[in-house]
Amino acid sequence: MLACAAPAAAAAANDAPAAWWVWLAALFVASFVIGVVAVLAGVGGGVLFVPIVGSFFPFHLDFVRGVGLVFALAGTLAAGPILLRNRFASLRLAMPLALSGSIASFAGALVGLALPTDVVQTALGATVVAIAMLIWRTGDVVAGTGEADALGTILRLRGRYEDPAEGGAIDWRTRHTLAGFGAFAGIGFLGGIFGLGAGFANVPALNLLMAAPLKVAVGTSGLIISIVNSSAAWVYIHRGALLPALAVPAILGVMLGSRLGARLLALTPAFVVRRVVIAVLLLAGARALARGLGVWS
Amino acid sequence: MSREQLVQELYARWLDAATRVAFAASLVAFVVYAGGLLPSFVPLDALPALWHLPVDRYLAQTGAPAGWGWLPLLGYSDYLSLACVALIGVVTPACYLAVLPVLLRVGERVQAALVAIQVVVLLLAVSGALAGSH
Repeated sequence: MLACAAPAAAAAANDAPAAWWVWLAALFVASFVIGVVAVLAGVGGGVLFVPIVGSFFPFHLDFVRGVGLVFALAGTLAAGPILLRNRFASLRLAMPLALSGSIASFAGALVGLALPTDVVQTALGATVVAIAMLIWRTGDVVAGTGEADALGTILRLRGRYEDPAEGGAIDWRTRHTLAGFGAFAGIGFLGGIFGLGAGFANVPALNLLMAAPLKVAVGTSGLIISIVNSSAAWVYIHRGALLPALAVPAILGVMLGSRLGARLLALTPAFVVRRVVIAVLLLAGARALARGLGVWS
Repeated sequence: MSREQLVQELYARWLDAATRVAFAASLVAFVVYAGGLLPSFVPLDALPALWHLPVDRYLAQTGAPAGWGWLPLLGYSDYLSLACVALIGVVTPACYLAVLPVLLRVGERVQAALVAIQVVVLLLAVSGALAGSH
């Protein structure tokens, strides 16, 4: 994947910027590969896109974060109808959490664009390394159980879906609803600052904290990202930080890559993908940290 | 079909259609932009010397507008492309507006209130009213 950034080395050697189409082609290829890996790894594309493209491509982090939000938004919008129809995503569950997340994400995007680039780069590097460690340490998330709380009952945060793997219908309800609102506000704020979809954090919050079944957590996480990122993306558009020249190849790449990833899902051992994701995140996080700290510009 | 399923199916239908329209428009506009079929405000050839700049300096150097200032520039292929990419950002508000009357009709008042507040938040984001000064 990182070989896509080879034009950087060539351009540096010649002391001249590579042609625009070389970079856009490299961005398309990188987005395609990220799309494949993201589906296989069950993480949002943004968490890979922003640190990798921000570290190994010549685009300023302001533009990378703008594209990162649209990148994550495009992937989740495309998957949304299928997830809603097979009831792996619950609109009723997504609505209150997305409201909390989108307000915080909007604030996060404003903060992110106001902070100096080196501070954002350093914080991004530290966050990405922490995410890699979290994925490494936590293992597979297991389905939660528990009684519904009062707020969850008022909002009727419950549902039922057919799971062929479990051989029948699964009924579910949430717990710790207020804490869930807080968690999604925090996740949305970080997502807005860094231009991430933050699916890596949504799924544990829904599954472990709120006790939504894993499949519902994964599906609803995508739906929440599609709502939350819509508000943060407009901050970047209004600030002039969304370059369509970068956004369209990235969107096209992730859409095609996601389709291939979905087909490869049955063939690829989960532990292989997991190790690749951890290695890539550690590398990209270390690179972002080094750039932010001025060690490696 | 339960009330919840009815609303979820309606949202899925709108999401599917709106997303297809936004993606198709983005792709066509990008072909116009990259193919040079219309003049661009910032030529693609100039981008490699500019995209490493922070957004403030990029705007200052190119004279590109912030906020809704790009709306009168839709005759330029880069801003036409931006407008089509921005359509992706209005898919969700469109879906919410589509389900709001149905939620009210079936008596889902709490959900309708959440949807109404979310629409206000999204429309404020789209309007740029809270995006801050540049």
